[in-house]
Amino acid sequence: MRYSTKTRLLTGSAIVAAGCLFSADAIAQNVTIGMSASELGATAYNPVAASNLNTATSLIFDRLVEQDADQSYHPHLATGWEETPDGLAWTFTLLDGVTFHDDTPFNAAAVQSWIASYAGTENEYLVEAIESVDVVDDLTVRFNMKRPEPNLLYNLASAFMGIPSPTAYAELGTDFGVTSAAGTGPYALQRFEIGLQTVLVRNDDYTWGSDLSENTGPGHVETFTFREIPDQSTAFLELQTGGIDLLLGVPTDFLPILKAEANIQIIQMPGTGISYMPINVTAPPFDDILVREATTMAIDQDSIVAAVYGGVGAPARNFLISSLPEANVDEALNVTYDPARAGELLDQAGWTMGDDGVREKDGEPLAVDLFTANSTEFTRLTQVVQAQLAAIGMDAAITVFDSSTIRDEYKRNAHQLAVRGYDWNNSDILDWFFSGNRLGYPNVSMWEDEEGQRLNDVAMTESATAAERIANFTAYHEYVLSQHLFVPIYQPTQNIAFNSEKITVPDPVRGSRFRQQSFMDIQVAQ
Amino acid sequence: MILRYTFFRMLMLIPVSFSISVVIFMIVYLLPGDPIDNLLRVGSSPEDRAKLVAQYGLDRNLVVQYFVWIGNMFQGEFGQAIVLRRPVADLVAQNLPYSLTLGGLAFLFSSTVGMTLGTISAIVRHPVLDRMMRAFILLGSTVPGFWLALLLILLFSVKLGWFPVSGAGGWQSLVLPVLTIGFGGVALVARVTRVALMDARREDFVTLLHAKGLSSGTILFRHLMPHALLPVVTILALRIGWILGGAVTVEFVFGRPGLGSLLIRALGQRDYPVVQACLLMLALAVMLGTLIGDIAQAAMDPRVREKKS
Repeated sequence: MRYSTKTRLLTGSAIVAAGCLFSADAIAQNVTIGMSASELGATAYNPVAASNLNTATSLIFDRLVEQDADQSYHPHLATGWEETPDGLAWTFTLLDGVTFHDDTPFNAAAVQSWIASYAGTENEYLVEAIESVDVVDDLTVRFNMKRPEPNLLYNLASAFMGIPSPTAYAELGTDFGVTSAAGTGPYALQRFEIGLQTVLVRNDDYTWGSDLSENTGPGHVETFTFREIPDQSTAFLELQTGGIDLLLGVPTDFLPILKAEANIQIIQMPGTGISYMPINVTAPPFDDILVREATTMAIDQDSIVAAVYGGVGAPARNFLISSLPEANVDEALNVTYDPARAGELLDQAGWTMGDDGVREKDGEPLAVDLFTANSTEFTRLTQVVQAQLAAIGMDAAITVFDSSTIRDEYKRNAHQLAVRGYDWNNSDILDWFFSGNRLGYPNVSMWEDEEGQRLNDVAMTESATAAERIANFTAYHEYVLSQHLFVPIYQPTQNIAFNSEKITVPDPVRGSRFRQQSFMDIQVAQ
Repeated sequence: MILRYTFFRMLMLIPVSFSISVVIFMIVYLLPGDPIDNLLRVGSSPEDRAKLVAQYGLDRNLVVQYFVWIGNMFQGEFGQAIVLRRPVADLVAQNLPYSLTLGGLAFLFSSTVGMTLGTISAIVRHPVLDRMMRAFILLGSTVPGFWLALLLILLFSVKLGWFPVSGAGGWQSLVLPVLTIGFGGVALVARVTRVALMDARREDFVTLLHAKGLSSGTILFRHLMPHALLPVVTILALRIGWILGGAVTVEFVFGRPGLGSLLIRALGQRDYPVVQACLLMLALAVMLGTLIGDIAQAAMDPRVREKKS
């Protein structure tokens, strides 16, 4: 058989081109992710029982519903849902043809068994309002409620409500999520080395992605490796040098350097948390509400956003992220910077300015302790807060603790002021931090108040509809603000940086966090 | 004679091990915070607390608790990790090989390079080389490990792109951590080798060897080195434990698994059984290093075993 020179050249070129494509594809098919510092330390991929989960969880386990950045809910494994007018029953219709990674079917019985598995676990509160689950037919379940729970969809969209295979869950016991795991997600757990890395491999049978992703079929990327790098500077350098392709939770301090890199792109999403300064109402001088109010007026949120965070993020005026409707409180209750008024309040409380710039009362200086945890995000912020407190005559001494010790200090009521943060996009965070049942930690303000607890109980358990829940939480939030229990400081953004020469990432990102729906649309750059 | 000395030295380890085990056991009580508080779910009742106290045997007498604990240790029963929810022995077994590889290579690096540099500087008596050597020794003895780690990362990973910034994938990921841990050891070993060789060269028998017409190389390797090795071996043996201890911060900066990373994580999470097991391993390494050093010293110098036994 003879071939012309042209044919040989074309064939040769095609082979070379195919080889190049194949090798480029093979190299790029593994995308390495650096986890954010706040997500390190997961000990098991077990949404039911674990108290700490990371982003990879959302790829292994699907949820019944998904939440978008605008707080709206979208169908996923549940194609639809209906709530009875009295709020005492919810009926969910389930997606047909879905299988778990262990090839067992996803159906109404699986949902029933899954809800029952929360009993006695750390995450039981998520299903606390559900009395029982009925299997109506193979693809329909009914949740019978103890009381109306307008927050049910939020709970169902939580990472802690990913659905595991009931068979694997029963067989593996406490090893579930450690040695192996099975969900219905677009990626399956291939290897989990605690504290080091997690390798996920694509589920090629996946055809049931949510409408928050462009791609509802199998993922574009073959494997995702999630690395846990404890030192944030090292993680940042790994991104710079190509050791990782995408870094979640980039500290704002690193953004200017990363923006200067030609191959690095940054995506900023609205934040889901607040940095704030709780005030211990039981520790003098903060047992005086005038001193607390003065303290709230000493912090200049706008200058902090500009100077400390380079204009990235937004000033916080109250305890909730601004996208929540319950954050829309009476404008007079929002916290604003007013050092002159702070001075007047301190004078009124008997704290007069001393010659050395520190206020005094009965010969005692206005000297307080300011605690913080030893993480990059709070170091500079705490120093600025210290300087701003000094401007109103309050001498704050900073003490830095590791995250466990500072919690112990809160529990033994050894604190006065602290700079800290939370990450939660639901108004029930008010219950977590201000309920009188959790004094010390998480109620760092040590606030116990009859009216406050009544408003809390109403908001948490007596709201029949979503609108009622918003109204009840807004009332509770306003009461909390009126007691001057904390100083809201900053609403950070969620920063994600990626190597644009290696991958493309959807922008804008759908969902409230960078999770499954965004990973599904990540593609390797060719 | 050497067997008798070894037996005597091992006997001496018993009180030392006992004291160390008591301190490690007491870690649970010495660290700030209540271990049970860390285990309790938020909003738990006093009954929940009492149940946990009983579950971990903390309601028993302290002496009883210690003997139960040490008894389990002897049987290799490190217990169950509270936060990691796995047998501690598994966690140690999983992480120990990483630390041993890193520590072993760092030890090899610091001993070979240190002895070579020390020998060169003792033989080549040049003022410039001498000053450079002194500067290197000073630097090596004073530069903090974590700072050196960052400098090495910036140079070799970020600027030159030769080695990965972090992780534990392949031999390339070992180079910078080994250099970081080994650097201080190189300086120390070089200094001790240099001083020992210079002292040995001043001995009368060296003049005699020269008079007999032996070459400088023969005198150095056959006569001076064995003489000078005694303090070097002591230092090297002591470095075994130090290297494993030094790996704690280095593992953290380089994001490597190992006993150090495990210890830091367990401390942060107040996972006391893991903290105790890691500390016990590190203490054992130090004791083993000292023991090996003493035995090697005794084997090389009969005066040592005569004096100590």
